[in-house]
Amino acid sequence: MTAQGSVEEIAVTIAERPAGTPPDESILLDVRGLQTHFHVMDGTVRAVDGVNFSVPRGGTVGLVGESACGKSVTALTIMRLLDIPPAEIVGGEVWFDGTEILGLPEDEMRHLRGNDIAMIFQEPLTSLNPVFTVGDQIAEQVRLHMKVDKKEAIDRSIESLRLVGIPSPEQRIKQYPHEMSGGMRQRVMIAMALSCEPKLLIADEPTTALDVTIQAQILELLKSVQARTKSALMLITHDLGVVAEMVDEIVVMYAGQIVEQGTAEQVLTAPTDPYTMGLIESLPNVEKRGGRLSAIKGVVPSPFNLPPGCRFAPRCPYAWDACRTTSPELVPAGGPGQRARCLLHTPAGAARRAAMLDTAASGGATAGQGA
Amino acid sequence: MTDPTTTSTPAPAAPAPAGSAAAGALEGEEPSTEALEQDWRTSDLPGLPGDAPFVDPGLAVVEGETLLHVTNLKKHFPVLGGLLKKRVATVYAVDGVDFDVRKGEIFSLVGESGCGKTTLGRTVLRLIEPTAGTIRFGSADVTKMKSAELRRLRSKMQIVFQDPFGSLNPRMPVSDIIGEGLIAQGLGDRKERDKRVGDALEAVGLRRDYTRRYPHEFSGGQRQRIGVARALALEPEFIVLDEPVSALDVSIQSQVLNLLLDLRKDFDLTYLFISHNLSVIEYVSDRVGVMYLGQIVELSSSEELYRSPRHPYTLALLSAIPDPDPRRRRRRLVLKGDVPSPVNPPAGCHFHTRCWLREQLGDPEQCVAQEPELREIGPGHRVKCHFAEQVSPTKAAEFASAHSPVEMAAADA
Repeated sequence: MTAQGSVEEIAVTIAERPAGTPPDESILLDVRGLQTHFHVMDGTVRAVDGVNFSVPRGGTVGLVGESACGKSVTALTIMRLLDIPPAEIVGGEVWFDGTEILGLPEDEMRHLRGNDIAMIFQEPLTSLNPVFTVGDQIAEQVRLHMKVDKKEAIDRSIESLRLVGIPSPEQRIKQYPHEMSGGMRQRVMIAMALSCEPKLLIADEPTTALDVTIQAQILELLKSVQARTKSALMLITHDLGVVAEMVDEIVVMYAGQIVEQGTAEQVLTAPTDPYTMGLIESLPNVEKRGGRLSAIKGVVPSPFNLPPGCRFAPRCPYAWDACRTTSPELVPAGGPGQRARCLLHTPAGAARRAAMLDTAASGGATAGQGA
Repeated sequence: MTDPTTTSTPAPAAPAPAGSAAAGALEGEEPSTEALEQDWRTSDLPGLPGDAPFVDPGLAVVEGETLLHVTNLKKHFPVLGGLLKKRVATVYAVDGVDFDVRKGEIFSLVGESGCGKTTLGRTVLRLIEPTAGTIRFGSADVTKMKSAELRRLRSKMQIVFQDPFGSLNPRMPVSDIIGEGLIAQGLGDRKERDKRVGDALEAVGLRRDYTRRYPHEFSGGQRQRIGVARALALEPEFIVLDEPVSALDVSIQSQVLNLLLDLRKDFDLTYLFISHNLSVIEYVSDRVGVMYLGQIVELSSSEELYRSPRHPYTLALLSAIPDPDPRRRRRRLVLKGDVPSPVNPPAGCHFHTRCWLREQLGDPEQCVAQEPELREIGPGHRVKCHFAEQVSPTKAAEFASAHSPVEMAAADA
């Protein structure tokens, strides 16, 4: 791409390194060119299609997008928790703490999971085993990974429940998951995830199933625990409010690809990709009262029938002929290190972009109206 | 972490007109910080504006003909247990609710899961039989109606359900899903029905020729449109929208919200809008009732409620909304513990076990001993709290800064 000249500007957190070599020491997780496909009856779904991003040690990165954009599959691929087949990791590398982990034998991977990388899922009720007490479940994990005796494992379980703010943990460890509320169960999940002091915590929609006041409790808890343990956080969510509160960097995904990345402030306050712009503009808020919400028209394309060219073009208010034939690359756009997958930010789109900014400045900044 | 932009400017005496923030945004400028300051949510720590005594923000309370009048409505579900299935306990799902819905307005009920908002919405239509209380729709007393009368009335009162997957029969084509209500109402012959089904589909932005398709052929957003078309086909006056956009992705959610607002205008509809999403409620509602454990704890115009909430629970709810602007990260007011069970709601004020204001006031006895009235503290603004006059953003911020969120979350309610 012509825009490669400014690669130096790109923040260290964005992977631009040659294949087969470990990333810089400061990078904990480096995902490069990741491609995960699902082979199903109707064809092949390219669920993750060339994703590059990285998480610095102790850093916080948010993966944002709507249903089926590939954000959860990205996480499951990193954790190697997908069933193969139907899934197939077609290409790419995942470097964790200096080691490429996609090629790791399963027993080494099992050691890594839980110990160094832990994951919290959306629905705590289905991720906990209903026939064991929560104490047993945390202790099991501790004993598997830390080589301690039963007594000490129980003590550690109590300690980890205390850490996540569960009152009277000595009694709580004797309870079964169904005896707890949704917020309590999610705390147990966080306690389990943190019991082995992982270097990376992956949280997949950790508060989506919870009420707003309980969500506030859990987010505050995650923040404080993360600050204390210095573990890195990769947060997957569809909620722009939640990422804004929790992470320093944001990766926006659409139809299996990254469409924008940058700091939280860049992406949320000065988005450069039309999809990100549309998402932010479609959020209802009080300033839009009385008017129409600027909805993104249409629906996400079928994964079996992705449009040629830019995958967002059929819904994009700024698309022109070139967008329907050329697949855009992720190119520098907006602030330092920020990148967008949009032709507007290539020389071919420069004139249109200037015109667009002019209209925006003169007050006509309305993206596509509802379909 | 005080935001410098909000502390450097002196606090103005009274709130600026509500329109100024929006006007600034329209011109593509940075939202005017002066206008934003009026909103308590942008304030972070003590000493910020928003403490002016109750001021009507200029938006006249919507007056109009009352369409729905609900008085002391109760719905208690028995909990049966033991060998003889005797009543062993009672779930107080809706426990003494009063409100009016005026013709043409969007009245919203907001609250967390288990607060009784969905039960209330269904009880209003008598899809669930109330335990006590009266519901008047226009001049008719819905609570006393016989089933034939009720059936006739149902053409005027419709409902759209939350789950666009569970609420449409997968074995029925769209024409039957939408036409079923027309048949039940004995409306029209086949040809007339087909026309009305087609009209309803068109009104919700779907194609007339979709009638022969089945629900699985549609996306979530389209299914929700079918749910709306089903309600609309009977030409109702009043629709209960029970979490109509909660199952949808953000980009689809805004399409459906736009549709609902357009339909209200085009067909002179009145909505009872039920949601847990406070941003959606703020955007659509004329008036809002906040529910907690089966009761309305605060009721006012939407603008007033969001600008100067007077119930400690409302303040905590609003403070919990994550703000999508990372420049406005702020200290939250985190409530302790979980919502108590509606089987055994706390005595006195139901909220007293989690109330930050009560703690701040040194645990007054009254909160436990006496249930507060839903009393009027300003024009059209009613609050169920003994100490509503003492609720202020400053008090809340003081409390938030004195208690770490994690310590609060860990406290047993």
